[in-house]
Amino acid sequence: MMLEIEDLHAQVDGKSILNGLTLSVGAGEVHAIMGPNGAGKSTLAYVLAGRPGYDVTGGSVMLDGADLLALAPHERAAAGLFLGFQYPVEIPGVSGVAFMREALNAQRKHRGEAELGAGEYLKMARAEAERLGLSMDMMKRPVNVGFSGGEKKRHEMVQMALAKPRLAVLDETDSGLDIDALRVVADGINAMRSPARAFLMITHYQRLLDYVRPDRVHVLVAGRIERSGGPELAHELEAQGYVRAAA
Amino acid sequence: MSALPTRAQEEWRWSDLSGVAGALVQAAANDGTPDAAAWRVGDGPLWVFVDGVAITRHTIGRDEERGGQPLSDGARGRGVALDLGAEHASAGLIEIVHFATGGPSHVAHCYTLAADAQASVVETYVQLGDAPAWANLAVEIDLAQGARLMRHVRRFERAGAATETTNVRVGQGASYAGLTLLGGEASARAQTHVSLNAPGAFASVDGVILADATAKHDITSVITHAAPDTASRQTWRAVARGLGVASIAAKVAIARDAQRSNAEQSLRGLLMDRTATINAKPELEIFADDVKAAHGCAVGELDANALFYLAQRGVPPVRARALMTQAFLAQALGQSGDAAVRDAFEHDAFAWLEAGK
Repeated sequence: MMLEIEDLHAQVDGKSILNGLTLSVGAGEVHAIMGPNGAGKSTLAYVLAGRPGYDVTGGSVMLDGADLLALAPHERAAAGLFLGFQYPVEIPGVSGVAFMREALNAQRKHRGEAELGAGEYLKMARAEAERLGLSMDMMKRPVNVGFSGGEKKRHEMVQMALAKPRLAVLDETDSGLDIDALRVVADGINAMRSPARAFLMITHYQRLLDYVRPDRVHVLVAGRIERSGGPELAHELEAQGYVRAAA
Repeated sequence: MSALPTRAQEEWRWSDLSGVAGALVQAAANDGTPDAAAWRVGDGPLWVFVDGVAITRHTIGRDEERGGQPLSDGARGRGVALDLGAEHASAGLIEIVHFATGGPSHVAHCYTLAADAQASVVETYVQLGDAPAWANLAVEIDLAQGARLMRHVRRFERAGAATETTNVRVGQGASYAGLTLLGGEASARAQTHVSLNAPGAFASVDGVILADATAKHDITSVITHAAPDTASRQTWRAVARGLGVASIAAKVAIARDAQRSNAEQSLRGLLMDRTATINAKPELEIFADDVKAAHGCAVGELDANALFYLAQRGVPPVRARALMTQAFLAQALGQSGDAAVRDAFEHDAFAWLEAGK
C-alpha cells in the first residue's frame, strides 16, 4: 500500500477530532472521503500535511513505507505529498511562478535530484497553466492575490500538475466551482491519474465524483471511517444523507 | 552644544540619543583613505566624506560650510551644495558616501533644483571601526517649478548614534521622492519635514527600518499640504528582532485652503521575535474639507497560514520566512523610481535579513 493510516488520533486546541482512523490507499487508486460537517475531513488533510496546531496523539501514517509523521511539512512535500487547499492562501508580494520554481527545486534538492532550469520550468508552467485555463500573467502575479474562488482552485491544480506528487490530498477542491470550472478541474485530476499516483479526495457532495470516478468511497463520521464501499456508496449517501447511510 | 532633545519631548519619545555622549569624548580614528567602491551604485559624480570632511569631490557641486546645525547650535558642518538647472539632467546618479571613524561629525547638504531640473541622489552613511561616532546630518532641499528629485539614503552605522534632519520645500508641479533605509547597529533618528507649497507639488517619504540587537531606530515624517491640488505618500515598513526597536511617526497636515489634497499613508511593522518592539504613530491633521486621505497602520507577525502554504509546496521554513519578509520590505523599497538604487537597497536589506537567521 502506498498510504497506510493506522488508528490515527489527532487533536486541535485540545479537542479530539480524529478518533482511531484507519485507511489504506494503493498506488494508482482514487479514494473519496465523504462525511458531514465537523466529521474531521479537513483535519485529516491537515494532519497528513503536518499543519502546526494539528497534534497527532496516537497512531501512525506511512507513505511508501516511510513514517510521514516524523517529517516536517516541506519534507512531506518532497516525499511526494501534495495538499490541494480548500481555501488557498493569498501571499502578497510573492510571485506564484517564482515561488513554485523555488518549491520544486527545494523538493528536488531534498531528493538528491538536479534542479530545474529556468527555461525548462517556465515552459512546463506555461503548458500546465494553459491546460487549466490560467494565463502566465496570472501565474506571475502574487500567489492567489485578486484571484476568484475558481481561479484559486485552478491554480491549486496547476501546482499539483507541476509537483507531480505520489499522493494528492484534495480538500474540497470542488467547492466554489461553477459547473464549467468543475469540469476543467476534474479533467486536470483525471489527466494525472496514473498507476504510480494516488488521490485522496475530500468532498461533501457526490458531484465531483461524477467527473472523477473513485475506486473507493469512505464515510467519515466523528473522526473514524464508519463505512467503506465502491463508487455506488456516494450515490447512496447523496440519496439518504450521512446519518442513515452511516448507520 | 545646546542640550540634546530628551524623551520627555513628545517628538523624541522613541529616540535613543544615548550613543551621542560616548561619541563626544571619542577622537576620530581617521588615518587612511577609505574605499567607497563597495558602496557605489552607479558611475556618476561621487563625494566621499570621512568624519564630515570631503576627501573626494566633484565639480557638479561644491563643498559649503553651513552653521546652525540641528541638535548642535555651535557646530558648523560642511556638505555638498548642489545647485542644479535643467541643463544638468544628464549628470547621472549623484553619490555621497560618508564614513564615520569615531567622534562627532556634522554634515550639511543643500540641494537646490531650479525650474525643471532633475536629479537622483544616493547618500550612504557607514562606519569604519567600532569607536562610537555621532554623524549629525542636516539637509535643506528646495525644488522650483517642475523640478524632480529622487533622494535615497541608507545608514548602516555601527556604534554611537546617528541623527538626520531634512527640510524639503516643493514648488509648483515639482516632485520629491525620498527613500530611507535604516539598518545599522547604532541607533538612528531621521526626521523629514516636507512642505508642498504650490499646486501640483508631490512628495513621497518612504522607507524601511531594520532594528536588530539593541538598535533603536526612529523616523519622523511630516508632510504639510500648504497649497491646493497637492499629493503625498508615506510608505514605511519596519522589521524588528532581538531587542531592536523600530518606531515610525508619520504625519499628514492639510492646511485650510489646501483643497483637493490627496494623501496616502501606509505604516506596517513585522516582529520577528517577541522581544522586539515596533511603535507606529500615524497622524492626520486636516483643516480643508475636500481631501482624500487614505491611511493604514498595522504591526504583526508573518502570516502562519501563508508560511504553512509555502512549506506544503516544499519551501523550507527559513526560505519561506525570507520570501515573505522580502516581499514585505519590497512594498516600500519597490517605490523607488531608480532600478539600480532599488536593487542595491534590496540587496542591503536582504543581507540584513540573512544575517539574522
